[in-house]
Amino acid sequence: MKIFLTILLFHITYCGITQTSISGRITDQKGHALPGASIYIKGTYDGTSSDAAGNFKVQIDASGSQTLNVQAVGFKSQEVAMDLKGQPLTVDIILSEAINQLNAVTISAGAMEAGDEKKSVVLKPLDIVTTSGAMGNITAALLTLPGTSTVGNDGRLFVRGGDASETAIFIDGLQVGNAFGSTTSNVPTRARFSPNLFKGSFFSTGGYSAEYGQALSSALALNTLDLPLRNQGDVSVMSLGGGYTQTLVKNDHAITASANYYNLAPYQSLVKQNFDWEKAPSSWDSEVSLRQKWGNAGTGKAGFIKAYFHTEGSRMAIWQKLPGIDGRGDRVKLNNHYNYGNVSFRHSGNKGWLFYGGAALSDNRDAIQFNADDIKQVNRIFHSKIVAVRDFSSQFSMKNGLEYYAKSYAETLLDQNQTRQFADNLFNHFIEATYYFSNRLIMVGGLRSGHSSLAKQTWLTPRFSVAYKLNNQGQFSFAAGKFKQLAEEKLRIFQTDLKNAAATHYILNYFIVNNNRTFRAEAFYKNYEKLVTYNGLPSAPKNVALNGSGYARGVDFFLRDKKTIKDTDFWITYSFVDSKRKFAAYETKVQPTFAPKHNGSVVVKHFVTAMKSLVGTSWSWNSGYTYNDPNLPGEMQRKTKAYSDLSFSISYLPKPNVILHVACSNVLGRQNVYGYQYATQPDEEGSYAGKPVGQGAKRFLFAGLFITLSKDKKANQLNNL
Amino acid sequence: MKKRVQLIIALLLLLTILTASAQDSPYQKAMKKEIAKLIESDSLPVLQQSANAFGRIAELNPNEWLPAYYQVLAYTFQGLDKSLSLDKKDELLAKADELAQKADALSKNNAEIVALQGFVLMAKLNADAASRGQSLSGPVLQTFGKARAMDPKNPRALALTAQMEYGMAQFFGSGTEKACGYAKESVAIFASQDEEALKTAMLPTWGKSLAEKMARSCP
Repeated sequence: MKIFLTILLFHITYCGITQTSISGRITDQKGHALPGASIYIKGTYDGTSSDAAGNFKVQIDASGSQTLNVQAVGFKSQEVAMDLKGQPLTVDIILSEAINQLNAVTISAGAMEAGDEKKSVVLKPLDIVTTSGAMGNITAALLTLPGTSTVGNDGRLFVRGGDASETAIFIDGLQVGNAFGSTTSNVPTRARFSPNLFKGSFFSTGGYSAEYGQALSSALALNTLDLPLRNQGDVSVMSLGGGYTQTLVKNDHAITASANYYNLAPYQSLVKQNFDWEKAPSSWDSEVSLRQKWGNAGTGKAGFIKAYFHTEGSRMAIWQKLPGIDGRGDRVKLNNHYNYGNVSFRHSGNKGWLFYGGAALSDNRDAIQFNADDIKQVNRIFHSKIVAVRDFSSQFSMKNGLEYYAKSYAETLLDQNQTRQFADNLFNHFIEATYYFSNRLIMVGGLRSGHSSLAKQTWLTPRFSVAYKLNNQGQFSFAAGKFKQLAEEKLRIFQTDLKNAAATHYILNYFIVNNNRTFRAEAFYKNYEKLVTYNGLPSAPKNVALNGSGYARGVDFFLRDKKTIKDTDFWITYSFVDSKRKFAAYETKVQPTFAPKHNGSVVVKHFVTAMKSLVGTSWSWNSGYTYNDPNLPGEMQRKTKAYSDLSFSISYLPKPNVILHVACSNVLGRQNVYGYQYATQPDEEGSYAGKPVGQGAKRFLFAGLFITLSKDKKANQLNNL
Repeated sequence: MKKRVQLIIALLLLLTILTASAQDSPYQKAMKKEIAKLIESDSLPVLQQSANAFGRIAELNPNEWLPAYYQVLAYTFQGLDKSLSLDKKDELLAKADELAQKADALSKNNAEIVALQGFVLMAKLNADAASRGQSLSGPVLQTFGKARAMDPKNPRALALTAQMEYGMAQFFGSGTEKACGYAKESVAIFASQDEEALKTAMLPTWGKSLAEKMARSCP
């Protein structure tokens, strides 16, 4: 019996010592040692980690044919089959780099991204709203970025020699019609949508993805917030009006509703205005946003549905003095009613599938009284889209999308009971392939096709971009593509079968983010073909046709530094644009008034902890706007003096949930001139009388108090400023 | 007869030996060994070894949340190391985030996992506080709040909230009473816990020194 037990115990111990020793070295493809890699036999607890020199040695209890698995963060894991018999084994393993979307190269040509998550961003969402001089207007903040020109008597986005209609704006991938408030000529407008709706934006000054179309110059894609953090109420009391927003969140869904009212009359009665207002602008708006999330990102299937509705109304009446004629001039009264609704979804499924899409409707109604004429204009854009993206591997993905647009426009002269209108159906398909050769090299190719029922035209536009990352974290990227756009509705109504205008972009970009410093340099060339031309005045054009052409070329630079000066963040922008085009009523190629040659801006933000305040200043400058003087031979012969605006703002946080914000534009009181307006008829001496087009007031002063009510006393409305 | 008694005794003896070692399954044995190592680890290579070891255990026990939990912890501790570059920290914390989601899917509404998710988020904030502070401080506090709502007596959720609140109070120049309240509560809970019992169950015990450090910096 004793012998039996001894044998039994001996056997148990003996089993434990049939071990195989495996040793080796783990390296990357360049032969550099990989420390901290995990090496183990699949299906067992036997394993170890490589040391600082990439070496490892491990005793394996298992025997027979086994699989050795090697893993390291940032590398593709590798399996090696081996037969374990007790003899020591040596294996050297080379791991290949995994594509890591976090640090991999990105296409930065033409693109300026604002977001919290990605690295290659130029701005954080918050920067947009804390930029001094922006006054809560998204586009005003974007005008401090390279490639843009400030046109003070318009207020919209002008990109690289393109006019404002050449920029298309999207919310959650769906187009927004009439994204800027309705206004009369030379009275600047602003974006209708509050910056606090958005978690990020993608602003492209050219060469953008095949996903976007009907924009010759630029695309601005705004992405709304997912789930808000908490239940809260936001009160705002401003020098121009006030508003209230209530947010309710529960588990996977949320609702936000807000209402605001603005009236400039009290302010304008205190501060001298250059414009002859009969009725100061006033407006109200209200919005509701619903969000529902499902699934769990950890298990693969997850999604989001968002619905957003915005309605607003505004009114104003102004007298616009005419050059060379006594009296108050033309009387323009404008009542606007605007509705926008958007439902969008996003769902990520198994096997690398992602689906997104939705539908949006913009409806803009302007009732204009121009002296004795009553005009009604209705512009409607319906956009729907469905996109499927498939990641075939971490290196290769493909995007496929279908779009349908219904656009209609109607203009009625109420007194004469005359209406003219058009309706167009547009169908688009786009396909885009992205391929990562490595973490350093990426290539994107896309093709967008379209058909317009009204223009009776089918078109195909290719897009291409490539980016390469250098050793020093800097990267070069190049983008090229063709872009098409149908004429603006106010011109298209005169010639409804107008086909597309076209632009070709070439962009070369260098981009580097390092240690809280960002530098970006970009050179571009843009060629225009088939631009809209006409004879006569823009309000009554004759012979509307596509006989124009032109180009824009230039370079721009952007430097941002959060490091050098403590608690201070600043950026400097310089853009050079050389643009000439034959368009509108011009008979030759001219430098457009909206494309000043030299443009610059400096934005500084400084946090003063002792004062609990964010102090900001921004300076915007350009070399002057061209204008046409009918007293001189030729076209666009003259240029205004340089434009310059220095703004200042301060946000004081006495308590974390209370913000007092004061801002002033054009602190120095400079008299900026945006151009000259001339009489249509010469006077007795044969000269045309002129009058400068200037600012509404010398300065604009804004003060607001923003209070957030929530259980979490630290929440604030910094996003709303 | 005597032989038979001897045999029974021998078999009983053998059985005791076998059951004694069977009390801890290979999973439990491996876990306990690695948890002890993780708590004592003091360098990046050791933390990475620990992450690798928990990764191996997780692969063999795909339905257990604890191996993933400790793996996240090993990556997050690395992500907090000041000697690493921002890219490296982000890479490690992205891994931690991914694994934390996996743990959350395995054990839903688990206050420990939610507190850990908050910890990962806090490490991301710390990696680049100047540019991430404003956007991430809300989500960090909210995640800790969620963990406290699930288990008001979770000492780690309390200690981490204390640390976050303390930093925010300093930034805004406001009082630290709220932060200190959480710190003291956490210290008291840590003191009343049976650490050995938790260790036997392989449940988290870390965070005591953080709570004590926070409480010491309070008036």
